[in-house]
Amino acid sequence: MDLSATFQKRRWILGALIVLILIIVAYFVLSSRAKASSEQPIAFNHQIMVQLGIDCLFCHTEARRSPAAGMPSVEKCMGCHKVVDTTNTEIQKVTSYWEKQEPIPWMRVNILPRFVYFSHQAHVVLGGLNCEKCHGDVGHMTIAEPVVKMDMGWCLDCHEQQANAHQLRDCVVCHQ
Amino acid sequence: MSKITRRDFLKIGATSTGATVLAGCQKARRWVILEPYVKPPEEQLTGEATWYTSTCRQCPAGCGIMVRVMNGRALKIEGNPEHPLNQGKLCARGQAGLQVLYNPDRLSGPAQQMTRGNRQYQSISWEEGINTLFQKVKAAGNGLAVWLDSTTSGHLYDIFQRFSNALGGSKPVVFDAFSGVTGYPLLTNNAQDLFGSATLPAYHLGMSDVVFSFGADFLGTWLSPVRYGVEFGNFRSQPLGKRGYLVQFEPRMSITGAKADRWVPIRPGSEGLIAQAILALIARNGIGPSERIARIQTLLDTTTINNLDLQSISEASDINLGELNQLANTFGTAERPIALPGSQITGQSNASESLTAIQALNFVSGAIETFGGFSITHQPPLPGLSRPNISSYQEVKDLIDQMNSGQIEVLLIHGANPAYSLPPSAGFLEAIQKVPFVVSFAPMIDETAVWADLVLPNHTYLESWGYQVVSPDFDRPIVGSQQPVVTPYFDTRPTGDVMLTIAQGIPATAKALPWMDEVAMLKETITQLPSGATGGSGTEVLWARFRQYGGWWPATNPAPTTTFSPLSTSIKVPSPQFQGGSDQYPYFLHLHLPVFLSDGRGANQPWLQGSPETMNTVSWQTIVEIHPDAAQALGLKDGDVVKVTSLYGEVEALVYTYPAIRPDTVAIPFGQGHTDYGRYARNMGSNPIQLVGDQAESSGNDLLWSSLRVKITPTNKRVDLAIFENKIGVTEGFINQAFPGE
Repeated sequence: MDLSATFQKRRWILGALIVLILIIVAYFVLSSRAKASSEQPIAFNHQIMVQLGIDCLFCHTEARRSPAAGMPSVEKCMGCHKVVDTTNTEIQKVTSYWEKQEPIPWMRVNILPRFVYFSHQAHVVLGGLNCEKCHGDVGHMTIAEPVVKMDMGWCLDCHEQQANAHQLRDCVVCHQ
Repeated sequence: MSKITRRDFLKIGATSTGATVLAGCQKARRWVILEPYVKPPEEQLTGEATWYTSTCRQCPAGCGIMVRVMNGRALKIEGNPEHPLNQGKLCARGQAGLQVLYNPDRLSGPAQQMTRGNRQYQSISWEEGINTLFQKVKAAGNGLAVWLDSTTSGHLYDIFQRFSNALGGSKPVVFDAFSGVTGYPLLTNNAQDLFGSATLPAYHLGMSDVVFSFGADFLGTWLSPVRYGVEFGNFRSQPLGKRGYLVQFEPRMSITGAKADRWVPIRPGSEGLIAQAILALIARNGIGPSERIARIQTLLDTTTINNLDLQSISEASDINLGELNQLANTFGTAERPIALPGSQITGQSNASESLTAIQALNFVSGAIETFGGFSITHQPPLPGLSRPNISSYQEVKDLIDQMNSGQIEVLLIHGANPAYSLPPSAGFLEAIQKVPFVVSFAPMIDETAVWADLVLPNHTYLESWGYQVVSPDFDRPIVGSQQPVVTPYFDTRPTGDVMLTIAQGIPATAKALPWMDEVAMLKETITQLPSGATGGSGTEVLWARFRQYGGWWPATNPAPTTTFSPLSTSIKVPSPQFQGGSDQYPYFLHLHLPVFLSDGRGANQPWLQGSPETMNTVSWQTIVEIHPDAAQALGLKDGDVVKVTSLYGEVEALVYTYPAIRPDTVAIPFGQGHTDYGRYARNMGSNPIQLVGDQAESSGNDLLWSSLRVKITPTNKRVDLAIFENKIGVTEGFINQAFPGE
């Protein structure tokens, strides 16, 4: 048996293993972040909407009333875009979803692990936070992108600064 | 290749990354995509659940449920804590109701078959379907027959009954395997004879200190298992730290037997004899209070008391005399003892007499008249409310005879699946082929819908309206409400609306059914109820409260009925007769309803199929439980495929050696052996109803389904049992084997 060939083979396997481990680590590190914005079905331009004076809560209307901020229904988009900017190719995509009566399959921008309980209502109503505090200056973005890495340290940094920090640092606040 | 070049390294990297990313996308896809509504319903908040109350339809008990709904999807079913029957509890079958709603084999719309039985369905429009139905029904006149099941909503029963009445047809036949095997007709007719009310009896275990259960698997499937679970809890933890004492008489240990303080493995069919012996022994030996002995003397004459042949009863039941005396002592000296008649009794040759003997124990103990351990179901709180009236087996046979003789022109089938749940010798399959036009309202194709010309799928129960007059109820009358918790997913239509629509075209039925739709009918009926526990007044408020609280029940419990006419029947239980000689058929056959699949209607729900059955942990399969000694004598091991043969038929089952069964008895659960009914039910196990013959017991109420003897013939086949400890396991391994390529 050619010993050097065996050794070469081992190096192959070792190389593959290292790459695999790197990929797995990278996957777990990156998976808590957003999906690439290019994957969105429609290149939605937040900047234009904000410049026109539309409040975040006009579309993400449930942030004040429910744990989820909510995505606007196709019907809501069409409320304006039946007449506004109808020649825009991106808007025509919205129209085609409306005509097919199908939901728009948006990709999530910020993904929290499923063992985290997060409520928009608690942060917006009780905490009095504005959207930019966590989501960054979406008003100057075209397609929304994640700006902060929403991990536990980041959550706790803010919780620790609150007057009721002794309550907000309790595990069951988020891990219900 | 001598060494890894930079290019090779990149190649490996690219391939692995590709694979990882692809795998990641596949798995995470459902979590990553946000699909907003196209048109949102009003007051719908993403992330906020809405809970709707309704009524469970997985068995006829009628437990109140609450369904958690988010964004129009039903996500979880729980018990309704306000509901007086189940008090917030719910069984596994109730929880699995979501899989009735989301079943992938549901019909997406109405369909017709050109040739019945060939399973070639053509989609049609509702207009076409309803028109065809109308033409056929109009032409049939009094040749219309209706077959319903025991979980049919009261209003639907009412609609069908009025409809056939108006056309001069007979009342609907209500029969399914559950109500038949549990002995509903026999229990109600017996209650009519003994107590003057044809309703189901209820047993208040919580009021009792000693319970003698003659095969009643009340923690499994018997009558109202969730309520009996609550009652059992009260029975075990009574005031002052008292704990009730349960004795279970049954040839095969059920889940209830496993919970009992004493399990008495009696010979099948001897339940009534034992009850009779206990009565005689209490009187003969003067056990317990004198008024009880006086009561026994009104039931048994002196010669029976003194000369009852206890030795032969001891031999027939396989309980030795000493133990029999001990049991009589336990029952006689208990303060508040009650006795329960189990399902198996109702399929024996001595069914009526045994049932009466066991009810006599309740009469003697004072459960009926004094301490309230027994009650009969209340009458509906309004005369306009219907409760499906379970037909006796004789009525079923009569309808089959009519179908055979060509008197039935149109047969409408809703809920029931007689092609599966009746023994082949009943001749249903031959009879249905003689009916010129058959319509099924089944939401998915079952064995009976295969023989229908027209399938007009109803909504499933979580999409439907209705009410249920709960039976058996316990301390108060209850009308459970049923309402849609989601908008219907498919192009299905409520059967009530279909019938009300065609009723408009025939003058007689239009007069009998003047409502525009079923909701109008329900609202009109329900809002006539007197003020109940949920309060409110005015039509709209009452209707809203009925739906909000999950039903109607009185604010205060009515006083228990204690004025039964004293039993005057004399108790004389004959020995059981078995079908099949003991030389040719050496084993008694103990058929039973398993906890999850029940009478087979749970077989299309993979959660229920995959749940390890209580006492043997087998899922997905039909087993025959054999005592290890008997199995050894036959040279059988776990997983051996055997043929079980009775006088009437033969089924294949897998051997499961079970030490808690009599060596002279083998047990087979109902539930499997579907030939249709969706991918999860089809071709799984076998249906033991094929072993049962066509005879009814002497009173004509119930099939003689538990008085069979069988023989076991080994085949040379073996199949791995789907149990945890086996290499095949209960989930992935088995599913891969059962559903290759899915």
